[in-house]
Amino acid sequence: MHVAKTTGITTRELWARLFKAPSIGSYLDEHSGSTFPPFSDYIERLCEERGEKRESVINRAGIERTFGHRLFNGTRNPSRDTVLQLAFGFGLDCDETQQLLKIAQMSALHPKVKRDAVIAYCLNNGSSLMDAQQTLYDNGLPLLGGAKRE
Amino acid sequence: MNSPRALNPDDLLDTIVAVYDYGDYPQDFLASYDIMECLGEGVGCDTFLVQDAEESQFIAKCYDKSVWELEGSDDILESLDHPNLPKHIARFDNDTMTVVVRTFMEGTPLDRYANAKDLDEQEIVSICAKLCDVIGYLHHRAHPIIHRDIKPANVIVRPDGSVALIDFDIARVYRAGSETDTRFFGTVAYAPPEQYGFAQTDERADIYSLGVLLRFLLTGSPRQNKNVRVYRPLEKVISKCTAFDPAKRYSDIDQVKRALLAANPQSQGLRIAGIVVAALVVFGLLGFAGVQIYRAVTWSPFNSDAIPAVLNDEERIADAVSYMKDKYNTDLFDNPDDLATVGLLRHVLIDLYGLDRDYVYSFQEEGLPGESDDYFMAWGWDDDQTVRKETAVYAAVKVHDPKLVAEDQWSKLPDDNGEYPGARVAMLFADETGITTGVNRPYDITKGELALVFANADRVFEAAE
Repeated sequence: MHVAKTTGITTRELWARLFKAPSIGSYLDEHSGSTFPPFSDYIERLCEERGEKRESVINRAGIERTFGHRLFNGTRNPSRDTVLQLAFGFGLDCDETQQLLKIAQMSALHPKVKRDAVIAYCLNNGSSLMDAQQTLYDNGLPLLGGAKRE
Repeated sequence: MNSPRALNPDDLLDTIVAVYDYGDYPQDFLASYDIMECLGEGVGCDTFLVQDAEESQFIAKCYDKSVWELEGSDDILESLDHPNLPKHIARFDNDTMTVVVRTFMEGTPLDRYANAKDLDEQEIVSICAKLCDVIGYLHHRAHPIIHRDIKPANVIVRPDGSVALIDFDIARVYRAGSETDTRFFGTVAYAPPEQYGFAQTDERADIYSLGVLLRFLLTGSPRQNKNVRVYRPLEKVISKCTAFDPAKRYSDIDQVKRALLAANPQSQGLRIAGIVVAALVVFGLLGFAGVQIYRAVTWSPFNSDAIPAVLNDEERIADAVSYMKDKYNTDLFDNPDDLATVGLLRHVLIDLYGLDRDYVYSFQEEGLPGESDDYFMAWGWDDDQTVRKETAVYAAVKVHDPKLVAEDQWSKLPDDNGEYPGARVAMLFADETGITTGVNRPYDITKGELALVFANADRVFEAAE
């Protein structure tokens, strides 16, 4: 566990502040063993629940239109970054994003990964995708969607 | 120390960034790679997906030096060079941590792959045989490397269909004569008994784990379950791989591969094709040989024409009875639970396979049983006697190809255990090709089991033609 020498705060404590669930461990324990719906069904249902149109979610997620619709139709599978972009598109918080990653069978946002922590911070702040990319860029971290950093 | 709750959002971001920048990772590692995902957390060892400036992805294992005693650079592990093993890229050290970077094997872990796809026996055999090749590369080096944690999550099915073995966390070079393993390595369900510290583990530890993995793929569980029947020849491979006593296991991974391929009736097709090809090359008939190779290679024993593999024994018998009924338009196998008699067996040979009645009924009255052109059965039986499995198998094999049980085949047998050698040769052939699949009783077989033996033999020989 890493301890910031300046503040004395551990990554775990930080993480606890970013998530409603007390730790990533308990999150995974709660959900292990259960079966999940296909990713495309799940995001379709998210649209219905939130009264969103596919088109606007895809737009806000900064995903190319055709590819976005294929994700909703289940003819394409997303990468982990694409799932995170969709989380911004839906305006999900950290816990909801972990759920989305789990359904896509991708690794969760993790307290030991600085990039994940910054993304979690942005999600919790309700940042737009553009703001999140700016924050990643400012901190010298790879942007979402594979654009190279400077 | 500040009260955490007093932080405003901007301070929180600064704090996040600060925490990570003052982490324990070697600075030259952080300068070369971005950490993208955490793939696993272990005791004192974390596994990350990282990417370099070109966005190529790698796996980084970060060992906490207070937990792990790592020797200096490990030439033996670093020199591994096999397309289906992660390749060593770089190693970084500071006072608290050692980071080892290896290539990332893209693909789907076998546990998830098996859950998503309904694998049939043939695919399972193919995956395990490919895995044997990778394990063989490790075991057959001048200093053998034992993986010690072979399990579905550590096997990656790659997009091109090849099979990679990952996670060399605990793989160690086998040091003959060193003391017992003092520490538990491995994953409980997949680890052999000696890995709990009874003895020094060697290559046979991996063979044990491979057996458990095979059982998992066939039954969905790494644990033995008597209610789940496994295709018999493969069950034998599992039993031998997972014997409690390492001395009773296969001693070499190549033997496991051979046994796997032999348990798959397709291998018999290939062997027959090999003989055909060898003969035809002599006569220069290569065009025809090509067709034979094609047929043998494309023959799947699990297609509709071959022995159905994913059935329980009851379903197999029902399937065989209806197969025989449709094919020969016969009601000889009605009431399949009744005991079969030698009279019924003779009826089958005469009515269904067109053998001459005298040929079937006559037998050698004196001396030891033996093969002769004058009689089909090497023993004398009465019509009302019950049928041994061996007798049924002998008849079903011989009716298709008498040469398989001819005397020149017997010389292969290391000894004679008192059974008639022609029957033993037929049994060996039948076990290898799967003809005996689903026939469990050695004596007093039922009409249904007799139908099964003949139906299986028909399918094996037809497929090989």
